[in-house]
Amino acid sequence: MLCKPIFSVDIHPDGTKFATGGQGEDSGKVMIWNMAPVLREEDEKNENIPKMLCQMDNHLACVNCVRWSNNGLYLASGGDDKLVMVWRRAAFIGPSTVFGSSSKLANVEQWRCVTILRNHTGDVMDVAWSPHDVWLASCSVDNTIVIWNARKFPEMVTTLRGHTGLVKGLTWDPVGKYIASQADDHSLKVWRTVDWQMEANITKPFSECGGTTHVLRLSWSPDGQYLVSAHAMNNSGPTAQIVERDGWKTNMDFVGHRKAVTVVKFNPKIFKKKQKNGSSPKPSCPYCCCAVGSKDRSLSVWLTSLKRPLVVIHDLFDKSIMDISWTLTGLGMLVCSMDGTVAYLDFSLDELGDPLNEEEKNSIHQNIYGKSLAITSTEAQLSTTIIENPEVLKYQQERQNSAQANSGPGGAAPESSAPKLNSVMNGESLEDIRKNLLKKQVETRTADGRRRITPLCIAQLDTGDFSPALFNSVPILPSGSSMSSQLTPQLSSDSSPGQASSMGLKPTHDPMLTSPPPNNTAKPLEDNNDGVKSSLLLTSASKIEPMKALDSRFTERSKATPGVTAAISSTAGLTPLDRPKDGVTAQKEAKTKEETSSDSEDKMAAINKNLTFGKRKPELLLDGGEVVEKRKKGRPRKDKMAASMAQPFTQPSKVVAPPAPVAVLKLPTPSTQKAFSLQVSMEPSVFLEVENEVSMVAGSKLSQLRCSRDGRDWNTLLPSSVVVAAGSSDILAVACEDRMLSVFSSCGRRLLPAIQLGTPASALHCSAHYVMVLTAGATLSVWDVQKQKALVKNESLLTILSGADTTVSQSLLTQQGVPVIGLSNGKSYCFSSSLETWTLIADKSDSLVQCADFRSCLPSHDTPASSGPLAVMQGRNLNNIKCNKETQEYRYWLLIYARFLVNEGSEYRLRELCKELLGPVHKSAATSWEPTTLGLRKRELLREVLPVIGENLRFQRLFTEYQDQLELLRNK
Amino acid sequence: MAKVQVLNVAVLDNPSPFGNPFQFEITFECMEDLAEDLEWKIIYVGSAESEEYDQILDSVLVGPVPAGRHMFVFQADAPNTGLIPESDAVGVTVVLITCTYRSQEFIRIGYYVNNEYTDPELRENPPIKPDYTQLQRNILASNPRVTRFHINWEGCAERMEDSENVDPSSNSMLPPSCLPGKAPPLGVLPDNSMDCL
Repeated sequence: MLCKPIFSVDIHPDGTKFATGGQGEDSGKVMIWNMAPVLREEDEKNENIPKMLCQMDNHLACVNCVRWSNNGLYLASGGDDKLVMVWRRAAFIGPSTVFGSSSKLANVEQWRCVTILRNHTGDVMDVAWSPHDVWLASCSVDNTIVIWNARKFPEMVTTLRGHTGLVKGLTWDPVGKYIASQADDHSLKVWRTVDWQMEANITKPFSECGGTTHVLRLSWSPDGQYLVSAHAMNNSGPTAQIVERDGWKTNMDFVGHRKAVTVVKFNPKIFKKKQKNGSSPKPSCPYCCCAVGSKDRSLSVWLTSLKRPLVVIHDLFDKSIMDISWTLTGLGMLVCSMDGTVAYLDFSLDELGDPLNEEEKNSIHQNIYGKSLAITSTEAQLSTTIIENPEVLKYQQERQNSAQANSGPGGAAPESSAPKLNSVMNGESLEDIRKNLLKKQVETRTADGRRRITPLCIAQLDTGDFSPALFNSVPILPSGSSMSSQLTPQLSSDSSPGQASSMGLKPTHDPMLTSPPPNNTAKPLEDNNDGVKSSLLLTSASKIEPMKALDSRFTERSKATPGVTAAISSTAGLTPLDRPKDGVTAQKEAKTKEETSSDSEDKMAAINKNLTFGKRKPELLLDGGEVVEKRKKGRPRKDKMAASMAQPFTQPSKVVAPPAPVAVLKLPTPSTQKAFSLQVSMEPSVFLEVENEVSMVAGSKLSQLRCSRDGRDWNTLLPSSVVVAAGSSDILAVACEDRMLSVFSSCGRRLLPAIQLGTPASALHCSAHYVMVLTAGATLSVWDVQKQKALVKNESLLTILSGADTTVSQSLLTQQGVPVIGLSNGKSYCFSSSLETWTLIADKSDSLVQCADFRSCLPSHDTPASSGPLAVMQGRNLNNIKCNKETQEYRYWLLIYARFLVNEGSEYRLRELCKELLGPVHKSAATSWEPTTLGLRKRELLREVLPVIGENLRFQRLFTEYQDQLELLRNK
Repeated sequence: MAKVQVLNVAVLDNPSPFGNPFQFEITFECMEDLAEDLEWKIIYVGSAESEEYDQILDSVLVGPVPAGRHMFVFQADAPNTGLIPESDAVGVTVVLITCTYRSQEFIRIGYYVNNEYTDPELRENPPIKPDYTQLQRNILASNPRVTRFHINWEGCAERMEDSENVDPSSNSMLPPSCLPGKAPPLGVLPDNSMDCL
């Protein structure tokens, strides 16, 4: 390997490759290596197995950190050029070299930079992906930590400020609750991911530290219980400080290194003591394993169950250890050093113990945090699972594709959308194009007489079928060239089979080394010329090498290039008047360039800052705009009324209405208003206007009800003051002081005879052709106006109004005529007319509901669907929804439920669900299975649920089983 | 990172007589649409001793540049022999291709160039005054030396800021019409001028 320092190493989650980052010749360097030759000697010796897979020279300065995302799709790198780059493997296959790279080794894999994260104003020292790849964190010598939205690069989530020194290391809490950072300011800080505020600032163990290490890579244990710092001091000896999650106590440390600890890395596995064959299994505490690397060039590996290190390896390197990476299996480790080498260490199960499997690890998390890491953490493990069913494979691929398309950094267009190369080229081969490029390319003159070439677009980004081999192919000579005749034999000899074989492996066409063989067909004179020339060229090539005087010209930016003007004027024939202008700009250019680099870099940083501020402003404005809009929405009462029907009337009543004078009256009644109006329906638009005590006729007060539907008015008089009114697009209902309930069609026809209520109405709702009334006597009635039938008759709320202070805080009627009552104690009930009983549908105070994990299963694109009434009431149990006959909602929650079960990995519940949906395969009279639920065909539902199940490879057998049965049934 | 990556430069018409134009077929890739043109230059180093003898053979604007992979051929006339020190005519020198965006150079590609007489007689006894018609130019195309520079791709704010800070009395701020006297008379200008700084 190179002798340039290697600052970082990281093993890909699938264990087949690893990345290194460090110093290149005149740039930073990221390299991706094949793991196989490291692991097996025979692979190392096998020349057909590539060792290096890809190298990227894009970083302009030293690369300090490389990290694979947890899903293995991306690689993030951070360097002294203040940038974080995110890489993804490009679609096209086939080797290519990096142009201008001294190494002629071909890239076996193509990794391209998909996004550049610019914000830091100093060297980026460490980068870290959060669990589940939600965020990417980067820290820098600019004293800040930036959290990037890894689902939407290059969006920034926040900047963590607080360190007063160079931040040199980052680690995420495996549970995702915290991120910890260590800096040269003698502190280790823990930040919360909930509000991105500082949770803890640990300084004591670091007070004696000098800022002498290049990196401070700290690490969090896989069980989340311990955080281990890099360089700390205890009694003037270097240590790695152990910080306990519980109270951030700092009572223990790893002691023994002679110089500062640069890097700490926990093994991703949790271990338990290996059971010896024959011996009785003893219950033992699971423990973690941690590797510590130091400036003293030695490496120590510790088990949290042992007081002394498991192993210490001295003099592994010539210089400081810079980074450590464990394989996901927990048994292998790569260590890199400033001396430019990487070492691989291999452990046996006897040495480390038995690694817990993902399930056991999850259950530890479940025990400690009440939450398992669930699906994502197991995915890497499952990547080795063989997919047994083509359908499962299809679903998995579709899922990956959509994930890439949706959450890919930079929102890059999916590969498939890129037009094929052929279409770009109009069917012409690239070689043809290259032959005529000079003649065909569009060249114009700008207003100031300069040449302007329109480049030929040969490929969209990420065109999969574009062969990079082109770049090293033989140059094509313009036919008009004076040399063409002389060189023709040379070219033809190149393509002759004998010659081609010797040229086959050369990455570039090298005219200097091409010795044209004596060509029989060519004239003798030309042969001579060629022969002479080739020998000349060979000598000149050897002569070229020692010309070091010219070398500086390759790397130094020209101080100024005012000569452009002259060159242009000579070709373009500029008028003298134009020229000085160019000269002036050139001088100005020169001035800018002559500035010290640091100066201009600072300036650039400042500009970057300005830019981000500039970008932020409109966001803020937008936010403001949204707020205004929201307020606007809230202001007109009419809208709200339309949305929640007569509910606003119950709400004020609680405040305004005096407590009911009679003991029987459990529920408050709204006070009678002189006049009010409400919009009961938007489409068609129906307005209701009530004016009480309009006129006195024979001593009795008359009230007027006016209704306008789509601009057409009707009105009617009522003998008593209207207390509450409600309506839907079909019907209107009013309850009066005399406890009479009148129901009209929206055109003014009385639909029901006046209904005498036992007690005054407390709340009134209409929905579709249903009317619901809640009386002050705490009884509920629902009528189906169309069928002229009672669905719920005088059902008492006393059963659900337990406790003295409980009142009805909310009530509503669904489109299916199901009454829903929300109580002040947070519980919500609906009355099931088929079961003739109250059923609990939600309980806000139920801690189980509060902590329910199903929220995390809510797919973001489904949110519009969740606006059903039950979403408001917090539905939990599917059967509740079934009661409420909300077809679409049932479907929605069913899928959520399935996703929840899939994520939680409870197979027997999933199986039960599938079984219910599938029903009996063979028809028999005895079964009582209903093929439909709420009008939805259960088997159709199953068809929708199955892809969800297919997302988790663990359930592929279940998937296959039900997929097959569905197919079977369809074919019947 | 640079928005523009040079993927390959193919040296066309190489080797060739000294007087032939330089031809480089340049392939580059751009990560996002560029607001402004790229400016490419070919610089011929007349003498290893001093930058004084550098000649800008030509400069072209290349644009518009949308995201994607592009190629073009950059052709420029051979250097003006009158500006090359006689002692440096034969032997090894360098040709540079540079690219600037918003007047900031972000990549420099250098090639060694060997100028030799093809005639063995001349090689043995080179004339004191170089005979350019007999010289052959050979660019060591297999070994490009690429240097990349960090520039600000996001707008020209830097330059605007600079111009704001410049003393208004300085020449650079004067309108061009005030400076005609400083330019060399057109007639005296050779085909290719020299880089004076």
